[in-house]
Amino acid sequence: MTHPEELLADYVDGTLDDEQRAVVDAHLPGCETCRDEIELARGAVAALASLEDEPVPFGVTGPVLAEAGRRFERRRVLVWERLQWAAGLAAAAALVLVVALNIGNGSDREDAASLGSSTAADGQVEAPEGGAAETALAFAFQGLEVQDDVNYVADGISSLATDAAEVISGRAPAETGGDQRYTPADEALACIEQSGAPTVDDPRDTLMRLIEAEYEGTPAYIAVYAESPGAGQPADTVVVWAVAKSGCQILTTASLRV
Amino acid sequence: MPDTGARDEDLVRRFLSGDRAAFAALVERHERRVYNLALRMTGREEDARDATQDAFLTVLRKLSSFRGEAAFTTWLHRVAVNACYDLLRKRQRQPLLERGGDEDRPAAEPPPVPDHADASDLSIDVQRALLEVPQDFRVVMILHDVRDLPQDEVAQILGVPVGTVKSRLHRGRIALARAMGVPRSGERADPASPSEGTMTP
Repeated sequence: MTHPEELLADYVDGTLDDEQRAVVDAHLPGCETCRDEIELARGAVAALASLEDEPVPFGVTGPVLAEAGRRFERRRVLVWERLQWAAGLAAAAALVLVVALNIGNGSDREDAASLGSSTAADGQVEAPEGGAAETALAFAFQGLEVQDDVNYVADGISSLATDAAEVISGRAPAETGGDQRYTPADEALACIEQSGAPTVDDPRDTLMRLIEAEYEGTPAYIAVYAESPGAGQPADTVVVWAVAKSGCQILTTASLRV
Repeated sequence: MPDTGARDEDLVRRFLSGDRAAFAALVERHERRVYNLALRMTGREEDARDATQDAFLTVLRKLSSFRGEAAFTTWLHRVAVNACYDLLRKRQRQPLLERGGDEDRPAAEPPPVPDHADASDLSIDVQRALLEVPQDFRVVMILHDVRDLPQDEVAQILGVPVGTVKSRLHRGRIALARAMGVPRSGERADPASPSEGTMTP
């Protein structure tokens, strides 16, 4: 017996047109096999409908965003180097022009030189990023928090993000602890920025906390940022970066919507 | 970066022109669908995490080659499905000691999502049964019956004709129902039974 197999899935879905459905309807009374299979398939469809989406565990895409950050940083450096090269070329061209002019009439030396240096400088100027106003936040970064003998793992990073989200949303005060002592953060900030994490000048990201501790046994700096969508809008995401103290490579990063 | 409502294709363009936040927005928008596809395909949270990361890393590497012939979500699903296949293949190559069972069975796959204690018994049973269905059937059911994607999009994602999708869908449903313990009505002796054959495209 020939079974209309190619029609059975759509028959179960109820998406056959009248003509095709009539073909199956005509076949079914004489075919127990197809009747049974349609019954089984309907049961399977109902069972599959019971599968609901699970929430995405915290931090799953963190390493991806960290890698994206590294790639952007590399590309930025590359663009910068190209601009420098182009600027050097422009300066050289201007110098040739100056020499030519000087040979010609010996005048306007300073003007031409300044024109050349101006061209070179213009080539090196980076376009401002976004231009959004910095979000006014009540939880300004105060300095490096040294947490001796503290070893963060994924749960700890998650807690930092959750705590920061509470602060951003106003559900918790901004203090990180009354007796918290802060130390100069220059070295840590340099390391964080070297890793590709947002810089302190980034208009979208506001550094909330910078912690010196361990991450999964590796001495690390852990930066907690409040991230705004830009254009002066309030922060709506917490981003945590853990960066190795030695080498400044990213150990992990995670984000949490407020 | 929050979901701004921008079209995926616009976010892709912004990403390619250097807007890092656009990539974060794409990830945020689609991580749930990719993760849940991977969770249903692999049956294990740990594997779903790995497959999700692999998929988005591939997106990051290959987004510049996305030409827009297909919708971004179609392309993303294809990347995610491939990430799941790669992960399942790697797992099958694991040492026998870690496999714990018959080599020929896809049952080398581990028990399903034990860490979702709040899931209903029914959905756990369905997930467990799903893992007993051959991967090529399973993926079609997940995309069509669970993710609600139309058959022609499933065909596009998998790179197979729509007729193949219809066939795998029907066979997969039968296999799932049987794996869930629904009795084989009649124990078909009909050699031309539509769903007894091996899977072929």
